[in-house]
Amino acid sequence: MTAVAERVFAVLLRLYPKEFRARYGPAMADFFRERRLAALESGESRFGFWLRVLRDALVSAAAERATAVARRARARSHMSAHARSTTRRDVRASGRASHNDGDSPMSILLQDLRSAARGIVRHPGFSAVILGTLALGIGANVAIFSVVNGVLLRPLPFRDAARVVSLTQAAPYYSVSEPEFRDYRNGLKGLDGLAAYTNGIGILLRGGESQQVRAARVSDGFFSVLGTTPVAGRTFTPDEEVRGGASVVVISYQLWQRSYGGDRSVVGSEQQMASGKATIIGVMPPHFDFPSAEVDIWVPLRLDYDSLWTRNNHYLQLVGRLARGASLDGVRSAALALDRQWMRDYPETYSGTEPMLPTLEPVADTIVGESRPYLLALLGSIGFVLLIACVNVANLLLARGEVRRKELAVRAALGASGARIAGQLLTESALLAILGGAIGLALAVGGSRLLVALAPASIPRLDQVTVDWRVALFALGVSVATGLLFGMVPAARAARRRSAHPLKDGGRAGVATSSVKRVRTLLVASEVALAVVMLTGAGLFLRSLRELQQTDLGFDPSRLLTMQVTLAPRPYNDEEAALFFDQATRRIDALPGVEGSTAMGWLPIADGGGAWSILVDGRVVKNISETPASQPTQVTPGYFATMKMRILRGRGFTDTDAADAQPVVVVNESMARQLWPGLNPLGHTIRMMNPESPWVTVVGVVQNMRSSGITADVPPTMFFPYAQAAKSAYYAPRTMTLAVRTTGDPLRLAPAVRRVLHDLDATAPVSSIRTMESVLGASMASRHFTTDLLLGFAALALTLAGIGIYGVVSYAVTQRTFEIGIRMALGAAPAGVLALVLREVLRMAVIGAAVGMAGAVVMARLLRSMLVGVSYFDVGTTVTAVVLLAGVALIAGTVPARRAMMVEPTEALRGG
Amino acid sequence: MPRVPERSHPESRIPLTPVELLVLTMLTAGDRHGYGIRQDVLDHTNGEIALEAGNLYRTVRRLENDGLIEPGQPPNSDPHADPRRIYYHLTADGRRVLAAEMRRLRSLVRLAEERRVIAPVPR
Repeated sequence: MTAVAERVFAVLLRLYPKEFRARYGPAMADFFRERRLAALESGESRFGFWLRVLRDALVSAAAERATAVARRARARSHMSAHARSTTRRDVRASGRASHNDGDSPMSILLQDLRSAARGIVRHPGFSAVILGTLALGIGANVAIFSVVNGVLLRPLPFRDAARVVSLTQAAPYYSVSEPEFRDYRNGLKGLDGLAAYTNGIGILLRGGESQQVRAARVSDGFFSVLGTTPVAGRTFTPDEEVRGGASVVVISYQLWQRSYGGDRSVVGSEQQMASGKATIIGVMPPHFDFPSAEVDIWVPLRLDYDSLWTRNNHYLQLVGRLARGASLDGVRSAALALDRQWMRDYPETYSGTEPMLPTLEPVADTIVGESRPYLLALLGSIGFVLLIACVNVANLLLARGEVRRKELAVRAALGASGARIAGQLLTESALLAILGGAIGLALAVGGSRLLVALAPASIPRLDQVTVDWRVALFALGVSVATGLLFGMVPAARAARRRSAHPLKDGGRAGVATSSVKRVRTLLVASEVALAVVMLTGAGLFLRSLRELQQTDLGFDPSRLLTMQVTLAPRPYNDEEAALFFDQATRRIDALPGVEGSTAMGWLPIADGGGAWSILVDGRVVKNISETPASQPTQVTPGYFATMKMRILRGRGFTDTDAADAQPVVVVNESMARQLWPGLNPLGHTIRMMNPESPWVTVVGVVQNMRSSGITADVPPTMFFPYAQAAKSAYYAPRTMTLAVRTTGDPLRLAPAVRRVLHDLDATAPVSSIRTMESVLGASMASRHFTTDLLLGFAALALTLAGIGIYGVVSYAVTQRTFEIGIRMALGAAPAGVLALVLREVLRMAVIGAAVGMAGAVVMARLLRSMLVGVSYFDVGTTVTAVVLLAGVALIAGTVPARRAMMVEPTEALRGG
Repeated sequence: MPRVPERSHPESRIPLTPVELLVLTMLTAGDRHGYGIRQDVLDHTNGEIALEAGNLYRTVRRLENDGLIEPGQPPNSDPHADPRRIYYHLTADGRRVLAAEMRRLRSLVRLAEERRVIAPVPR
């Protein structure tokens, strides 16, 4: 017991400064021994004894350290005062650093920089390795940051962009109706302006060609809310924004360059459109991607405020500008209050069970919000890679520090304080880091271009990615931080160890002190931990991606060619439209290489959304809020077969479901479950809210199909035969998407399909020709891109960690050559030596892996919103990461370990 | 009168801290090692003041640095002489400083007696 107590006291003694410990430590240990004996004899309570001893040690050690610091400071100022009157001596060892602490900080810095530069030049190989590591690490970080900067940080092209907000409703409303827009405008406090917009299609007729473009129909005040000045011409005047105003249009920069060659004279000219002539009055600047990057023209919405559409019809998106002094939360509360007011005033429109919930967010979030988590995950991941690179560089510098002990000892002997030497080493590190960072910045310019080229189009604002001042500042900051980080370890060691012992022992590079070993073990363990975290993260993303890719979509996306066709400008009545699509699909079916074709109101995954209120089974309900809703789509008879959707009950559509036949509908599983739980839906009826709509009979139930996006839930969906849609489903859309199932490569049939459509109507524009698989790919593109990059970074981290472990073990083996020689001379088997070395490796790896696993759980929790179908605490992925790392560690350690095995005892003993 | 180096002028070193005063006073009885000093202080203050290692040796360091005490020879009569043990000896300077401090305290005590803070001790 006493021996244990004395060992504990020995540990407590380490709290005291080294000099004090050297002088009084033994006496204090003797004191403690007597004290302990006396305490045992007198029956002093053990708790009380240790409490007093501990308190005394903590307080007096802290006081002694503080006194020591003060004493050193006093001694330094005495020394500089003394040295100022003498000539300075140059130290030959490695450059002319003066140890004159009385010099101004600036001159000290300059001296250190000169000496550091000389050091770099004198060891070109060593410096090249360090600079290369730093350049790659910092360069990769800067490249990723340039993407983050372009997408997330660069200001949007709106005046005072932070104050521009989008106002939407949560499910199930999503958008806003015309009366609600008017009421918000009149009643919502805290906004300096509120405008509405909706998406549409425009058809430009030029040179006999129809060109379909994305249009945004915008209410009055739209452009003033956003505050962007056109690059040519102007935006709408108040007269043009109301009914009866002139027919005008504003075009996008892309359209201007693409279709008009950037010709300024186009402003003021007339453009023939499917809806009539329109004057082009202005061109928006480049990157004005509102409401989306695809929008090519803006036309006035022209709401009739005297005769607004019904309150129940939600289709408008809103954008507003926060007034000075107003807050987002304040306006949100005000909007909620208004919504509640409406629910009270219009109970027949708003359901109590589906309350309105206004969503207000900065427009930046609307535009880039989806990409933000992916980009930040990438930034975090590449940051880890840099940390691992820092550890490697720190280890390299530590190794060199051992070699430089003599040089530093000479300096210390000549009067340089520990802080001074530490400062010099830090300056060297900072110089290396800044040089590495400069090279890295140059690499990043190319790197960011490469990233932009590889990045999917689903990441918005990629055209804004450039190396600007923010990126350069980031590069500088990262370089300096990196330098301090890896420089701190050798500098702290140098500051602490100022004894002249290295000069006495004849300069043998000899025994690695236990503290160095501890530091290096810590460094390598931290590398391992970081690598485990990264591998786990990448693994989780990969599993997520696989889960998504294997999701049952409810239809077969392979070998499916899709394109959009609009029946315009030629006018079609409902029969003609139905005839068009009927003939189109028949002719396409006849093409060689085609298994089947169909036309549909919207394309799964890419589109979807919107829901119509319906009445069920003859129950006419006055209050619209009490009716269920379902997502509608109009399809031609070949739909279910072409999409390969399983019909669970009843049938699909046939040619007999013509305009004059009994109105029918096919519903999906969700709708059947919701409206007729536990019953057979066949034979039941539904009806649109419009009193003229006929009751429609359910003739089939089809399996659920994923509509908008893969991860969204499947809403109730109803399918109407296109031929009947005008009567039973409000209208038959003139813009439809064609899907053609082919036997071979879908795109090879695109020209033939286009020809069919051209033959039927040469003026009907065809657009968005792509395969279903590319649509799928696009919906997962951000995730796929991020996963690929994360895997790449994790592989890089693994390699760097392996190199780090190799370096440390290799160096340790060299250091211990003497010891190994002795062991083998005394009869140790080579295998035993191998085991000795590998045990060290395993120890470092185990410590690192344990910390890494804990870190991985924390990281996965942060990422969990991005993971699909994978729990953030996934044992399999974590274990795989650890096993991979252990494997790399063992391999990295085995190479030098084998070298240890082959040590010749006699050589080792002689050389040591 | 020869100029006395500033460092060794007793007045410059006072007032002493309570622990310094105790340590110097106990050493007037003869050389002591660390634990011995603690024992003496305990006895003298009826167990009220118990010096622990850190506190004691910090004081020892200050007194040693100022030349008031110095390491001395262990007494021959100590059969358990642990080689780690250091015995401390009051130097002449230390004696002078201690005397100066005691004189200062005495005048303070006299003032307290005059003002009836404590009853005067019959001399």
